[in-house]
Amino acid sequence: MALLQVDKVTKRFGGLVANHEVSFQVGQNEVVGLIGPNGAGKTTLFNCIAGFHQVTSGSVVFDEQDITALSDFQVARLGLARTFQIFQASGDLKVVENVMVGSFMRTSSRGAARRAALEAMDFLGIADTAGEMMTELPVAAQKRVALATALAGDPKLLLLDEVGAGLNPSEIDGLIELLQRIHGERGVALLLTEHVLEMVMKLSHRVIVLESGRKIAEGEPAQVVKDPEVVRAYLGDHYVKRQKENGDA
Amino acid sequence: MEAVKNAFDFGDMPRSELGLAAAALAFLLWFPAMPHSSFGMATMIQFLMFSLYGMGWNLIGGYGGQVDLGKAQYVGIGAYTTAVMMIRWDVPFWFSMPVGMALAVGYSFIIGYPLFRLKGHYFAIATIATSLVLKDLFEVWDFVGGARGLELPLKGDFPNWLYLQFREDYYYYYILLGMLLVGLIYMNGFRHSRLGYQLRAIKDNEHVARSLGIDVHWSKIKAYAMATAYVAMVGSFHACYNFNIEPEDTMSLDLSVLIAMMAMLGGAGSMWGPIIGAAILVPMKNYLGSWLGGQAGFAGMDLAMYGLIIMIIAAAQPRGVYGIVEAMRARRR
Repeated sequence: MALLQVDKVTKRFGGLVANHEVSFQVGQNEVVGLIGPNGAGKTTLFNCIAGFHQVTSGSVVFDEQDITALSDFQVARLGLARTFQIFQASGDLKVVENVMVGSFMRTSSRGAARRAALEAMDFLGIADTAGEMMTELPVAAQKRVALATALAGDPKLLLLDEVGAGLNPSEIDGLIELLQRIHGERGVALLLTEHVLEMVMKLSHRVIVLESGRKIAEGEPAQVVKDPEVVRAYLGDHYVKRQKENGDA
Repeated sequence: MEAVKNAFDFGDMPRSELGLAAAALAFLLWFPAMPHSSFGMATMIQFLMFSLYGMGWNLIGGYGGQVDLGKAQYVGIGAYTTAVMMIRWDVPFWFSMPVGMALAVGYSFIIGYPLFRLKGHYFAIATIATSLVLKDLFEVWDFVGGARGLELPLKGDFPNWLYLQFREDYYYYYILLGMLLVGLIYMNGFRHSRLGYQLRAIKDNEHVARSLGIDVHWSKIKAYAMATAYVAMVGSFHACYNFNIEPEDTMSLDLSVLIAMMAMLGGAGSMWGPIIGAAILVPMKNYLGSWLGGQAGFAGMDLAMYGLIIMIIAAAQPRGVYGIVEAMRARRR
């Protein structure tokens, strides 16, 4: 049984159909990429899975439990963690205290929460920032703190929304390595959306392509990028037509 | 057991801060022995009361970021519970105070549930509304004396510890100081509790908080109830100290705003903020206010001055006086 089963999920905002009958699965310990042009409905789909939006129709099953109607905080407690595109820095809490908020999902003891937080921070190589304030950290380190906070809650599946945004190429390499370790050493399944295609291609076992809220392709990364539908979605009809003309000539 | 350890764990505070706190405590303990006027003593008692009110406000308004402008309704519930129970059933303060706290907390759960469906300014306005409605109800409710309020009977037999009736003000002073210490230690435990951390995460960003498994609505209601307990406790004390309570002085909007203002001036979201705020504003209110109104003939001028101070603080350092101290410390590092 797959860890996450998304079945014919449709999400409408008034007249706008953001997701139309999208179905896919994420297996235990699998890494799945979710790509598509701007406005394809990736973030909406994430929000539907995480319980932040209620779906219009369809169902979401996580870890053999129907989570379609659950609230986002209830979904989180079942072990489905997520990161946000914009990570809000705290003015009141130190870095380690921020991460502790994540571990408090599993314990009410301050000591245990602190240990779990430091362990997660150590795993991600940011243990030395424990005593600093969030606002003092560079963006790349803030992203690691966000990851550590999610990991401190001991998730089974991690939804990563544009986690590479705002990072430079060398920072992205570091992030890829980090995500591989989260997946490899901690056995956390990953579902990621990304503009940085290179990152999705390197990490994912399987890629799902959305366009205008519909799933248009699914498969191994190398195959999906050659799919004419996907090329059209990303580069437009015009480009495909010209390619054909060039090929014919 | 860990909760007790957390409450007494001041290890995460800078040494200088603890030193200052100890010096302030020494001063507060010695104050009644120093030469002082009765007006000075009354001012100190008010300072202690507002410190505790402000700490209650700070729990939900500072740590939780939910600007509450209706704290006075809980002063009223505490004060009226103690007064009614003493007048009608001869119940001593030490029994009526916990009852008042329990009633206030129960009431806070009932109104907190719908209140926290609202956010930001809407929440603030709704807290004002609930407080004013309760005040109006008490003004027409004969059982609690209506608009004339209640007068507590003199029990005699001074010093009367059971009913909190003393001839000398320093008894009241030391009882309040004891409450302040208990309140501070409880607050320190709260800061280190799961709810304390979760509340600060909620203040930062509710979406992120929810994604970390936090039931935002319920957490706010719980913190609101805890904040209520502080305010109701001092409300009960207020009834015994004043001997006379009426809706206008226990539940007015003025009182709610003053409570919020002191905590914000001192530093919302910090442990010492409300105390710093009360230490600045209460003497100012009493001395400057009475001088401006009496001798200088500028009645109401003091209100304009608070307004000015609040504007300066809000523009220059939203985290209040404590925020200024923190900023200076960060620069020195």
